Amino acid sequence: MLRFIMRMTGNVLKILALGGLASLAHAQGSAPGTAPTSNAVPAAAPALASPPARERSWRLGAAFGYGERTNPLIQSDDIPVIVDVDIAWFGKRWFFDNGDVGYTLFDRPSSTTSLVARVNDDRVFFGKTNTRYVNFAYSGNGMTTALPPAAGGGGNSPGAPPGVGSQEQALPVAVNPPDRDYAIEAGVESLIDGDWGSAELRAFHDVSGTHGGYELSAHYSRRWTAGRLSIAPTLGVSYKSAQMNDYYWGVHAHEASGALPEYHAGAGINLEGGLVTNYYLTRHLRFALSVNYERLADEIAASPLAEDDYVMAYFSGFAWTF
Amino acid sequence: MNIFRALVIGCGLLSVSLVSPGADIPAARLIVKPLLCVIDRDAGRCSMTFRIRWKSEAAAEYCLNDSALNTPLRCWPSTVSGTHEQHREVNEAFTYWLGAPNGTQRAAEAKIDVLRLDSQDRRRDRRARHVWDVL
Repeated sequence: MLRFIMRMTGNVLKILALGGLASLAHAQGSAPGTAPTSNAVPAAAPALASPPARERSWRLGAAFGYGERTNPLIQSDDIPVIVDVDIAWFGKRWFFDNGDVGYTLFDRPSSTTSLVARVNDDRVFFGKTNTRYVNFAYSGNGMTTALPPAAGGGGNSPGAPPGVGSQEQALPVAVNPPDRDYAIEAGVESLIDGDWGSAELRAFHDVSGTHGGYELSAHYSRRWTAGRLSIAPTLGVSYKSAQMNDYYWGVHAHEASGALPEYHAGAGINLEGGLVTNYYLTRHLRFALSVNYERLADEIAASPLAEDDYVMAYFSGFAWTF
Repeated sequence: MNIFRALVIGCGLLSVSLVSPGADIPAARLIVKPLLCVIDRDAGRCSMTFRIRWKSEAAAEYCLNDSALNTPLRCWPSTVSGTHEQHREVNEAFTYWLGAPNGTQRAAEAKIDVLRLDSQDRRRDRRARHVWDVL
């Protein structure tokens, strides 16, 4: 749950928690800090070359900047990204990575396979919705006549006053995007890398009884580093089952109205491309710029709940890793 | 009253002992660029040219040292400033420091950090599932 969009109150708590964990990590870690220049330091024997510091179990960081993720859901706001908090812990087998909990089954020279439990992220779109009022009218022969909303639909909407649908007046009908729940998903994840780049293969199934579906995904990424600059393009494809797509993007019978006709989404494939760029200012501070584009499956894009057939996201800001 | 007097005397002695090691070499300012080496999977080391400048308020004999070497890189006769350029391969953090000839006391120092992007634990490179995860 740590990755969902940052509301300011939540951010304050996260930052406080982060501060506490950061001091813990520093106490635990052995890596030296940055000390660019100093004057007249006390005498000390010259440090001999030491072996590379062992990686800390904790990874803590925060990024501050501005970004946005478009929201393909109708009557919803785009999602602002002001702060991104990174909290992860990696043990020999168990790990926690910003809400994902995993247990590593195999760690081979070229691949690592883990069992992972995570929270589905489609739900995040349903968190910033608005109510819109629409009029139903028929235009013809130079006249416009108010129409009643579909039976059992908009006329039953809260906020639709009595008399809606009468021929005499075209009062607006409240249209709310339906609520959706978070789903807990469990599955297998394989991370593979080599000189050619890195790939991530995942298969996840809902274990919370929320949507009952599954998702298969594959991503490829390659990072290039030149001096302090690193650039990592990513390509990805994910297949989402009919149950999963229909739960989030279908309009179910009890939700249908004149404004939202019943719709059943089938399985489909989302395609994704992205670019993450970092310019390292110090060992701990960097300027980060990321862009990501996801083309939604036709089955999602055709839903009355979908306003766009894509999700575009970007962020630029300064990131600090403790 | 005696306790107060003892505290005053004790603090005075402590401050003398902290300052006295710096008495035989004037403080200096050392500026080194660049200060960071970024190493990724495809390059095990950085090939860097360091531009080193130092400045002191009082003329003295200074030597520029490298924490990975036992002998000074360069020494200057009684002067207040100096510059030096060094090309070297870097794969671990080290320190340039300025001190008196044949001394271990440091008038100034600058640490060159090494940041390794490639982790031995590939789980640390798991792709963020949300685009706002830029870290």
